[in-house]
Amino acid sequence: MRVLMLIVTMLLTLGAIDAIAPALAIADPIPAQINNKPRVAITKRSQHSDKIESKDKGMALLFWAFAAATIGGALFVVTRRNLIAAVMGMVGSFLGISAVYMMLYASFLSVIQMLVYAGAIMVLFVFVVMILNRPEDEPVAPTGRAGQAIGGLAIVYLVGRLIFMLMKVQPPNPATAVNAPAPVELPGDIVGTTERVDWGSVKAVGWDLFGPGLFVFEATSILLLIAVVGAIAIARPLHEDQDNQSEPRHTPRDEAAHADAARKVADAEATTGGHA
Amino acid sequence: MDYSTLKFAGLPVLAWVPLLPLLGALINLTLGRRFARTTVHTIAIGSVAAACGLSMWLVFGLLWAAFKDGRGGTGIAQSVYTWMEVGNFKVELAFRLDTLSAVMILIVTFVGTLIHIYSTGYMAKEPRYAAYFGYLNLFMGAMLTLVLAANLPVMFIGWEGVGLCSFLLIGFWYEREDYATAGRKAFIVNRIGDFAFLLGMFLLFWATKTLDFEQLKGSAVGAAYVQPFWGGERLAAAAAICLFIGACGKSAQLPLFTWLPDAMAGPTPVSALIHAATMVTAGVYMVCRLSFLYSASTTAMIVVATVGLLTALAAAFMAFAQTDLKKVLAYSTVSQLGFMFVAAGTGNWVAAVFHLGTHAFFKACLFLGAGSVMHGMEHGGSVTPGDITTMGGLRKHMPITRITFMISCLAIAGIFPFAGFFSKDEILAGSWGVHPPGWPVWYGKVLWGGLLIAALGTAFYMWRLYFLVFSGNERSEEAKHAHESPASMTMPLVILALLATLAGLIGFPHLTSIKLPSFTHALSSWLAPSVTSTWWNPGADGVNTNVMIAGHSSDATILGLAAVALAVGALGIALAYMFYGRGPSAQVNRLVDGPLASAYEASKAKLWFDEIYDAAIVRPFKVIASGLYTVVDKLIIDTIAVNGSAVVVGLFSRISRLFQNGQVQRYLAGLVIGAALVFFVTDWHTKPTFDYEIVGDRLKLTAQPGAGLLGAATKIRWDVDGDGNADADPATNAPYTSPELFVLLGDTRTRVNLFIDDPITRKTTKVTRVLHLPPAPPAVPNQEGK
Amino acid sequence: MSDILFNVGYGHFLVLAALLFLIGTAGVMIRRNALIIVMSVELMLNAANMTLLTFSRMWGDLSGHTFALIVIAVAAAEAAVGLAIVVAVFRGRRNVDVDRLTTLRH
Repeated sequence: MRVLMLIVTMLLTLGAIDAIAPALAIADPIPAQINNKPRVAITKRSQHSDKIESKDKGMALLFWAFAAATIGGALFVVTRRNLIAAVMGMVGSFLGISAVYMMLYASFLSVIQMLVYAGAIMVLFVFVVMILNRPEDEPVAPTGRAGQAIGGLAIVYLVGRLIFMLMKVQPPNPATAVNAPAPVELPGDIVGTTERVDWGSVKAVGWDLFGPGLFVFEATSILLLIAVVGAIAIARPLHEDQDNQSEPRHTPRDEAAHADAARKVADAEATTGGHA
Repeated sequence: MDYSTLKFAGLPVLAWVPLLPLLGALINLTLGRRFARTTVHTIAIGSVAAACGLSMWLVFGLLWAAFKDGRGGTGIAQSVYTWMEVGNFKVELAFRLDTLSAVMILIVTFVGTLIHIYSTGYMAKEPRYAAYFGYLNLFMGAMLTLVLAANLPVMFIGWEGVGLCSFLLIGFWYEREDYATAGRKAFIVNRIGDFAFLLGMFLLFWATKTLDFEQLKGSAVGAAYVQPFWGGERLAAAAAICLFIGACGKSAQLPLFTWLPDAMAGPTPVSALIHAATMVTAGVYMVCRLSFLYSASTTAMIVVATVGLLTALAAAFMAFAQTDLKKVLAYSTVSQLGFMFVAAGTGNWVAAVFHLGTHAFFKACLFLGAGSVMHGMEHGGSVTPGDITTMGGLRKHMPITRITFMISCLAIAGIFPFAGFFSKDEILAGSWGVHPPGWPVWYGKVLWGGLLIAALGTAFYMWRLYFLVFSGNERSEEAKHAHESPASMTMPLVILALLATLAGLIGFPHLTSIKLPSFTHALSSWLAPSVTSTWWNPGADGVNTNVMIAGHSSDATILGLAAVALAVGALGIALAYMFYGRGPSAQVNRLVDGPLASAYEASKAKLWFDEIYDAAIVRPFKVIASGLYTVVDKLIIDTIAVNGSAVVVGLFSRISRLFQNGQVQRYLAGLVIGAALVFFVTDWHTKPTFDYEIVGDRLKLTAQPGAGLLGAATKIRWDVDGDGNADADPATNAPYTSPELFVLLGDTRTRVNLFIDDPITRKTTKVTRVLHLPPAPPAVPNQEGK
Repeated sequence: MSDILFNVGYGHFLVLAALLFLIGTAGVMIRRNALIIVMSVELMLNAANMTLLTFSRMWGDLSGHTFALIVIAVAAAEAAVGLAIVVAVFRGRRNVDVDRLTTLRH
């Protein structure tokens, strides 16, 4: 039932992103609008804030909606016992993040976030969840009441402190902060000409990635190769017969009892100085 | 011609003299174990012989020419590289071949080559053949470094190097506990001397800022030697005595001589090379090398001469009752070194070096002869080959050894015309006629008398030894079966005996009435440029007064003294013949048991020197050491430091194990709590305020908004005149907004407000402080300001 | 109050990223399932990415985008290896509870 609700939420979110995407992508010539507005309004806004979309309150509400999706999904991940539910919360969170990226004029990254994260990586997670197929016994690690209290207090304090600090972050140039980022001048197809592309578009990011970031890009490709080889090497059974062994011979319940017994024996050994 | 830049294979040619044996040592010590014996000793002998040939070419080829040009004292100086340079302290790895070091390298390389050859026969059955020759080569390299050194630090390298090789070779048969102990004893006793040597070196450097012999010799720094240093005595005295203590250790002088008799534990060729011919003479060489320093202090000279005399007498006395062949020779060496030091102490440098050379020949010959005898006795089946009470009658079995031994005994007893006669006579004559300023006038005669007694003793105990070994009948089965040694051992004996016979010809005394050919004074004229001939004693004007050291005696005195010395030598031989001519006589036993019993005991027990050291130094040291062991080592270090720190670490580990339990999540919790704490601490100062201080004619106001981090959005306004409204710069009309503000003193009142606006909470904090300013200078800022 | 609600500035994005990060941290701290921990780490990486993009927008510098792209690649690699480890551990021990993975502790 929960899963169903989650999927519905996801679809709704997707639809919402779809709805606002044109508005975000068009990147209105905001400076003219600001200049036309009365001076009072400008001073009121430019005091401290950079309005991403300065037309009305709709954009702000959208931000709050996606922020809520992000945070809610994240909380879902952390609190759910059901692994599939956690993964779905994660997907929701990622979709929210993707939308937030769009608000930051990072259109390419937004798409990548959706494709790679919400698409590929989360599918991987789902597969692993299916392999494991075991609900967690205890959702919260038993680190002691005092530890939990102190840790919780620390996190709450950090949250408050960070909010107070980060809310004061001031853009370097308040005059242009509210503007949509200026298009990037790139060399055109014909030598000697220039071409203006949108900030954060595939082409703009690509020029940066394959220009100054080329070495890092190549290094990352090697890293990915290593990760693929490593993942195969780790996940492969050590012996051919191990796969047969790993076939569940007992019911999960017996299994858990067996593991518990083994743990108890090990603990007893540890306490009686069974170790060297 | 200047040979200073002469190079061979990229290195200064002088460096090759010590380097050749060192290369031999390197090869033999690293790879020698895999080589055949022939290869090993070919390398060893080859390297030393090459060094010998090179030295001969250097001396007779190059230095001879320089000598004839009158540059024998400067000689050939070459620097390999700058070893260290710290501030104004500069030490070059430099070598200098002058006429003094030339004599030494010839002796060292020549005797060294002979002894290497001899060793092939003597050590033929030694399992650690390569190590032996490696050490021997290493010794040669170190000794040549010592001799050729152009400054004290380089000399000290050689000085320590020969000490090390001495230690290694004395304890060569370290399987025997007492041999290893003898090696350690030699090393430790030498260390005492080396420490004093270092002190002397430091003192010289402190006074003169240089350690190069040529610079030390120069008059530029010479004035430093006569500066009063301690108790009004000259600095030269302190430095020279310190260095002399070093020489005492190396050259086995009183009171540091005890190691040399024990050093006979080493193989006999080693005793011949290191403990008779070369290393032990290093102290004498050093004193002669620094003759300019010693001649600047007659106090140091009298110390040197007195120690030398006492050593000569004491060692001669101790030699009387020894029954070990090599021990007798060891005491004889100590005694002869005493002679040399008397010569050096009376400014008779030439005689010291002369006796050093002749002694090297005849004592090496004696030791090698002793080795030959022991070799023969061992072949006869003796397990104590050095015990002279089991010998006798060996003249029949070992004719070559006997003849060479006899020649050397004649030489050491000072019988004309053997080498020892001339050198010993020159020492005696020199001490008779010397009058250093500041000495009692009769002191030279005392030295002469003492040396005469020592010479008598020398002749007696050496010939006692000779008679006991070679004369009479065999006193044991083993002696009957002894036989002559192989040619590799007798050949060096013959050469050395020949030199012991002829070497005296280069040191005839100067006689005014008889004109002798010039070669008979070759040594003194050869050495003259390298040693000083005057007392360093500047007058009031600071210029050296050039008082000659050696006074000129008349021919009659010289000949008379020579006759006395000869007579004393002959008397000693006659006495020895009387008592021991046909083996140990009943007379001797009667004397030893009767009137001379206590003297015999004293001689046998080496004047109880070892016992005195044991009681005075070793035992207190042991008591202190055991006390330190109980208190410092066991209590403080073991219990408190080691176990205590373990307990503390254990305690803390028990605490930290609560956190370090391997749970990454707990670590992360710690990280988060830590981050929160960092924020909390930086946020601690919550009450906003501001500071002020006066910089020049301005007042500096520094806002502290209280968030720890100055919020980027926080706005600041200043009210400097205390009227409650924010102020602006009077010149530009721009409001004061920066956290750091400079205002003219005249623009301020005593009350200053700071407004902090938080744009998020829309809250304004107002801080008011009353400034305590010093009375402003009367209205000057106002007039010149705006 | 309405200012904070309707004038969405850089601070809002940064605070959002910080919250995301802290939730991820809390997830790593309190959860015992290795899979959830890997997911929480992914959340933290995304928070970092969001910060990067915000500052990129703030300074008008595109290299933040490049950096974020690299971070996504690294996160993918991390997820692949991390999940492989989870699978390997599960195959050997039949559970992925990090509190029970104590073989190396003693």
